[in-house]
Amino acid sequence: MAIVNRPAASRAPAVLLLAVALGASPPVLAAAAADWGVEQLMQALAAVKSSKARFVERKHMAILNAPLESSGTLVYVAPARLEKHTLAPRAESLVLDGDDITITSSEPGQRRMLNLQDYPLIRAFVESIRSTLAGDLPTLTRFYEVELAGNERKWRLTLKPGEPGMQEVVREIRISGGSGSISAIETIETNGDRSVMTITGDGP
Amino acid sequence: MTAGRRWAIGAWLVLVATCIAVISRTSFTTDISAFLPRSPTPEQRVLVDQLREGVVSRLILIGIDGAPQEALAQASRRLAAGLRNHAGFVSVENGEDIGAAQDREFLWRNRYLLSDAVTPERFSAIALRERLEEYLRLLASPAGALARRILPGDPSGELLHILERFEGQARPARRNGVWFSPDGRRALLIAQTRAAGYDIDAQERALAAIRSAFAPAGAAEARLLMTGPGVFSVSTRATIRGDALRFFVIAAVLIAALLLAIFRSPRVLALALLPVATGAAAGIAAVSLGFGAVHGVTLGFGITLLGEGVDYSIYLLTQSAPGTAPQRALDRIWPTLRLGVLTSICGFSAMLLSGFSGLAQLGMFSITGLVVAALVTRWVLPSLLPPGFTAPAAAACGPWALAAVRRAPALRYPLLVMVVLAVAVLAAGRGSLWTDDLSTLSPVSRSAQLLDQQLRRDIGAPDVGHLVVIHAPQEDAVLQAAEAVGASLRGAARAGLLDGYESPSDYLPSRRTQQARRAALPDPAVLRANLERALAGLPYRREVFEAFLKDAAATKEMPFIERGSLRGTRLALRLESLLGSRYDGWVAMLPLRGVTDAAGIARQIAAPPGASAVMLDLKGESDRLYRTYRTEALTYSLAGAAAIVLLLLASLRSPQRVFVVLAPLTAAVLVTAGALVLAGFQLSIFHLVGLLLVVAVGSNYSLFFDRQAPSGWDRERTIVSLLFANVTTLIGFGLLAFSGVPVLHDIGLTVGMGALLALVFSAILSRHDGEGTARAAEGRNAAST
Repeated sequence: MAIVNRPAASRAPAVLLLAVALGASPPVLAAAAADWGVEQLMQALAAVKSSKARFVERKHMAILNAPLESSGTLVYVAPARLEKHTLAPRAESLVLDGDDITITSSEPGQRRMLNLQDYPLIRAFVESIRSTLAGDLPTLTRFYEVELAGNERKWRLTLKPGEPGMQEVVREIRISGGSGSISAIETIETNGDRSVMTITGDGP
Repeated sequence: MTAGRRWAIGAWLVLVATCIAVISRTSFTTDISAFLPRSPTPEQRVLVDQLREGVVSRLILIGIDGAPQEALAQASRRLAAGLRNHAGFVSVENGEDIGAAQDREFLWRNRYLLSDAVTPERFSAIALRERLEEYLRLLASPAGALARRILPGDPSGELLHILERFEGQARPARRNGVWFSPDGRRALLIAQTRAAGYDIDAQERALAAIRSAFAPAGAAEARLLMTGPGVFSVSTRATIRGDALRFFVIAAVLIAALLLAIFRSPRVLALALLPVATGAAAGIAAVSLGFGAVHGVTLGFGITLLGEGVDYSIYLLTQSAPGTAPQRALDRIWPTLRLGVLTSICGFSAMLLSGFSGLAQLGMFSITGLVVAALVTRWVLPSLLPPGFTAPAAAACGPWALAAVRRAPALRYPLLVMVVLAVAVLAAGRGSLWTDDLSTLSPVSRSAQLLDQQLRRDIGAPDVGHLVVIHAPQEDAVLQAAEAVGASLRGAARAGLLDGYESPSDYLPSRRTQQARRAALPDPAVLRANLERALAGLPYRREVFEAFLKDAAATKEMPFIERGSLRGTRLALRLESLLGSRYDGWVAMLPLRGVTDAAGIARQIAAPPGASAVMLDLKGESDRLYRTYRTEALTYSLAGAAAIVLLLLASLRSPQRVFVVLAPLTAAVLVTAGALVLAGFQLSIFHLVGLLLVVAVGSNYSLFFDRQAPSGWDRERTIVSLLFANVTTLIGFGLLAFSGVPVLHDIGLTVGMGALLALVFSAILSRHDGEGTARAAEGRNAAST
């Protein structure tokens, strides 16, 4: 793990950030096609080269009485760049480019970088979203068992982790969209905790 | 045969028998540390000890490259799996998460004893509240999933605090689940052998095990690279053995062929080699008696003795006139020969007095060898030679050699230009003339040193640039001292003098500290009340924290951490490398990271009474050490040169003649040094010693040139004998220039080039320009003998 600019002050420890549970995806325009299926959905998603959106994420945890809410913006640039800028309750941004993740927090000077290859679990998380956005079915199926339900106007991808490490943490990830854009990502963990990210388009 | 000669031969036989007896009981070593400077301070001794047998000495860094990344990763996994079952290795790490679970389990179980944040205030309602609010932010962040898992058992955040401290330690990047170099082209592993680094046989077996585990594991085109102290010892031993044997055989064959061509008689060939063979045996025996063991490099150096010592018999045999007893030739040349031997001794004395035991061995070997070779030439050889012997080849070469020498003085001005140029080169480069790098003294080849640096950089091996070394009589005392020094280091880090440090007390706190931390945990009822108050108004479910209350209560009853508690974790290895016992107590080492003000840190650290703490700047320290040794070598070399001048003054009794003898040698030294610098070498101590040897060896040539030959025939023979002697010297030293062992390479190159130049320059600067020879000779003959 490459760490740049480590401050001496207390900060979110790296180990926590290792478990970057990414939940992000901008809306995309669907390219309509006959005989609609996973292949066609992926093609449509792959056609989108960049997009921007707002998100609201709610985390429901067994240890809490009430859900935690955060919100911000998402940026996607094909094929491998993904940015999640959380604005509330605390500014923090997470930029994924290729295999590198850069996390910058609101406290000045807090910036750290890590490489996805170092963290297989995070990589699986990341690919659930990024491969979906990129329409990269081979990568997606390397990490998940993929199931598609619904129709072109209103679809839902259900991803079930294939690797034991990931299976321990995540039961499934549900990505839903309508009319060619992703509208929600729901992550259900094995202990019943769950996070729902609702995405509203901001135009491409 | 006269009685005197019988005595001489009898004494020689006794000497040979004694030498054989001594040599048969001699042990031969290839220990690298003989060529490292003797360490004068206790701290440096600790380091040298660590290098010899500490954990550092047992690490083998392994790289695999030359194949696609996935193939390399798979080779790394298979290699590691193969070695983990091997009895010769304590551990094999390649970035796979094997052992990480034990580490986490150890840290989790002992979090309250290990965290240096644990104080009574840490568990007050206010402090707990602060931590719980911070957790809430973490839970909302992308890191929430892990925070959620830790929170119930650790709301005060001890594990996070501990991990944060460890975070600064450099680790290689991972690709495909195993360690890779930053450019992703080389998979990396670290193996720790069970045997110490100086146990070369065991290290050799470990290397063989790695190779054989790699053979089936590696992709066909993948390349296995290994480095580390053990690898160095093994390869150095192999190189020294290989070089010593190979060059000895080549030199022996070449010299024997040359002698056979000159003398055309196997019997005379055998006789010609007699002095030098006796000298070599005496040299080895002397080193064995003086140092207890003979280093392989010394034997390698023996080759040069072969080239140098055989000169004496060449002078005698080539200058024997037909129809006269060899004794007559000897009587004629002995004064010059004796002076030549004495100047050589002056030169080699500088090595004998050196602080490097390796170099001192070479000095003792050479001096003994040359003295014995000269004595055998003087007292034994003449009575064994066939009467009336003369060298046929000498007659053939004579006229040609004499003609060349007659014409040589024409080159005086080109020579002057060369010397001026050499001085200019040396003057221009005087700032960077000498290398300051201690590693140039190591017998490890430069390419191996480069590979080592590269793999270490790749792997992010602990940069042992700065280190605090702490001594105390007991283990717990040294840990307490490490904690005290750690507190000052944290202060220094806050002041920006360094980034961080690692301490053995990170893994094994002193007993006193563990007691204090345990006592800092409040009683269960108090803790529960504090937690209740902290939780008021926060969205946590209360029952979640029962795990925390239970663990905190359990910690109060738990045994303290001891060395054995770490068994089975990878942290045990780290602890072992930072904490060790010695014959006179315990040593803790605290490596520092990102030091910006070493002097400032040194001022701030202080060990408690009973312990001592010293800050070491390793690079600076070893450079200082090197400069000390270079100064010493320079002093001894100058003293050796001065001794040669005095010796010549006393023998020749004429400053003018001393000047004539020394002028070609000085020119040879300057031009050799200039050529080395021009060729891009930074001069090391070995080059320096080599330059002195140029004077010592070359003085034989200029002395013989200076010697007044009684007749034209005699002069011709002298010149031919010098030519032959020079060729054998060139063979001896020149071959060493091809050695992979730096000490042999540097000295061989310097002396080989210098000796050749010394002969050529002696001819060029010779005062005997043919016509005047006879007249001058008659005029001075009486004075010179």
